[in-house]
Amino acid sequence: MKTIKILHMYADMLDLYGDSGNMEVMSFRCKKRGIDCQIDKYSIDSEMPDFSSYDLIYIGGGADLEQQHISADLLKCRDGIVKAYKNGTFLFLICGGYQLMGKYYRDADGNDIKGLGLFDYFTVAPNSRRKRCIGNIVIETNITGKPVKVVGFENHGGQTQGVKTPFGKVLYGNGNCSKSEAEGYCEKNVIATYLHGPCLSKNPEISDYMIEYCINRGESEYIALEALDDTLEKECRQVMLDRLLKK
Amino acid sequence: MKRLLILIGKIIVKLLQLMHRNAGNLPGIILWHLSRQKAVSMFKVDCPIIAVTGTNGKTSVTNCIAQLFERSGKKIIINHEGNNLDTGICSMLLKYCDMSGKVKADMLILETDESHVPVVYSQLKLDTLVVLNFFRDQLDRNGEMETLIQKINGFCKTFEGNLILNGDDPNTARLGRANPNNKNVKYFHAEPYAFATKKIFEASEGRFCPFCGEALEYDYYQYSHIGKFICKKCGFGDYEPYITAKDIDLEKPVFTADGHTYSPKLNSIYNVYNMTAVAAAAKLYSIDQKITDGVINSYTVKNGRMENFMLSGNKATLNLAKNPVGANMTLRVMNEMQGEKELLFVLNDNIADGLDVSWIYDINFSIFERVTRVVTSGTRAYDIAVRIKTAGYDPAKIVVRPDLDKAVEELASTQGRKFIIANYTAVQPTRSALKRYIAKHGGNK
Repeated sequence: MKTIKILHMYADMLDLYGDSGNMEVMSFRCKKRGIDCQIDKYSIDSEMPDFSSYDLIYIGGGADLEQQHISADLLKCRDGIVKAYKNGTFLFLICGGYQLMGKYYRDADGNDIKGLGLFDYFTVAPNSRRKRCIGNIVIETNITGKPVKVVGFENHGGQTQGVKTPFGKVLYGNGNCSKSEAEGYCEKNVIATYLHGPCLSKNPEISDYMIEYCINRGESEYIALEALDDTLEKECRQVMLDRLLKK
Repeated sequence: MKRLLILIGKIIVKLLQLMHRNAGNLPGIILWHLSRQKAVSMFKVDCPIIAVTGTNGKTSVTNCIAQLFERSGKKIIINHEGNNLDTGICSMLLKYCDMSGKVKADMLILETDESHVPVVYSQLKLDTLVVLNFFRDQLDRNGEMETLIQKINGFCKTFEGNLILNGDDPNTARLGRANPNNKNVKYFHAEPYAFATKKIFEASEGRFCPFCGEALEYDYYQYSHIGKFICKKCGFGDYEPYITAKDIDLEKPVFTADGHTYSPKLNSIYNVYNMTAVAAAAKLYSIDQKITDGVINSYTVKNGRMENFMLSGNKATLNLAKNPVGANMTLRVMNEMQGEKELLFVLNDNIADGLDVSWIYDINFSIFERVTRVVTSGTRAYDIAVRIKTAGYDPAKIVVRPDLDKAVEELASTQGRKFIIANYTAVQPTRSALKRYIAKHGGNK
């Protein structure tokens, strides 16, 4: 079986809410199945990598200040990332990573941080820092082909607008904007979301969707993943679903 | 109006006391609303006030500074154990003031929540502000850490009193450099201890210079992002320390500051920083050296801070961990201890803890050594179990018991050394559950 290659971008700067835990989950689930998973890191001082050689590119979320620091560097990577995305590299983007792939991020003072413009959406921060979308969130997504409830924690000021294909429908919480019905952005090879927690920790179907995508990328024979014992993870999610959705 | 409000407040305090309730926050909350958030300004305080703030160590440092003055024969007022929000401080002042709102004491020593510093001390004149550190903590309540630092910095802009700052935390030290007009800024600093590293070991903040954006360079990290840093571009970090902890030997434990050798009871680098902050306050207020020695050498914490219990003949150490730094501290202590041990981790997500538990992914569980079993409990018992499993720990050795009494029974069901980590609202219920178990089954065999 081939080795899954993941590029974790700005791991040292965009890791505010345990987002690096997503990489721990990915590597844990690969290891359990005997799949080789190589996670490389890229940050501001690194040499420009060959983005297309990766099966998955991961970007987490950070504080405003850190996002400003990396945005110029990210723009330098634009061509490489666009090419990789068109080549079928999976993009997994959390919060800041999600926002920066859009057209722009307008901060509370009205200054624009230029995004990569890979997708049409854009994000505007409210004038007041108090107006943040903070709290537990449950969404329902169909990305795996059947409905899956995904539990996470959102904490974002930015309101993201212009999303045509959201990641999921909001069952509890805010989503892309304050009290919106839709959360995140997705395509076959993109998951962009505000869910921290980290997102994959109690949503094993989502991690497996990406692992299955990666393992089959560029292969002629389809490989299905063997199931893992997810009793703890599912119980963990169920506790939150019972608490948040049942009145 | 003011007298009426104070009267109402005092009646509420009395009523609560008659009902045997702790008048911790409620009177303050009521007064706060009645006075349109000007409750603190109703009090007349003529004596100097020292406030202690920061993410970790507030309670210890506040208690020690209070002891410095108490042992010097001063009448002091201190907000023991928490009650460090505006409303808690208000409730406390209500208890001590006369009907005109006058508070009689020689000194007020107030532990103050980071986000409440500007609110409280825009209404009460502060003599000295001690800032210990800023770590990621309760991001959902406080928002981003930068917002919090900005808030305190806003207060510092007009503050002319003494500012005692941790010079080894860039997030704290920046308050000094950002306010060059304050001539009373004093930094405390510590030379590297045996486990200081060249590379950063745990998740942290403040990697960039807040003044010019350049990446900060470190000579060494003591823990998290605390260490000797400098900005090569603009010189941030180049300051003259007011007091420096040297010759730190945690095995004994012993350290030297300003030529005096101290032998504290607690053997962690975090305690050395806390006690250096205390020594800085002692120096500033010219406390008799014998008193300072006495306070620093005798201070020990209970109440769930490295507190020991005997569970059916097995030693169990309970430590509070509100954030990754606190939890990583306990894991380090566990690791540095030889022999096998078991861990109980109690994780709650009540409002005071922060509803967000993602911080557990910043705890470095991969360093687990000789941990034979893990029990998890609290409202987020499963989250912490999944987190430990994901770090590579064998899930067959993890037992989830959301009910605390059952968790303690489970932990006590085997022989051997035990450690317990509990977060903020979990720590007192965990102590109670331990005591209940001991009362029922005995501590010593």
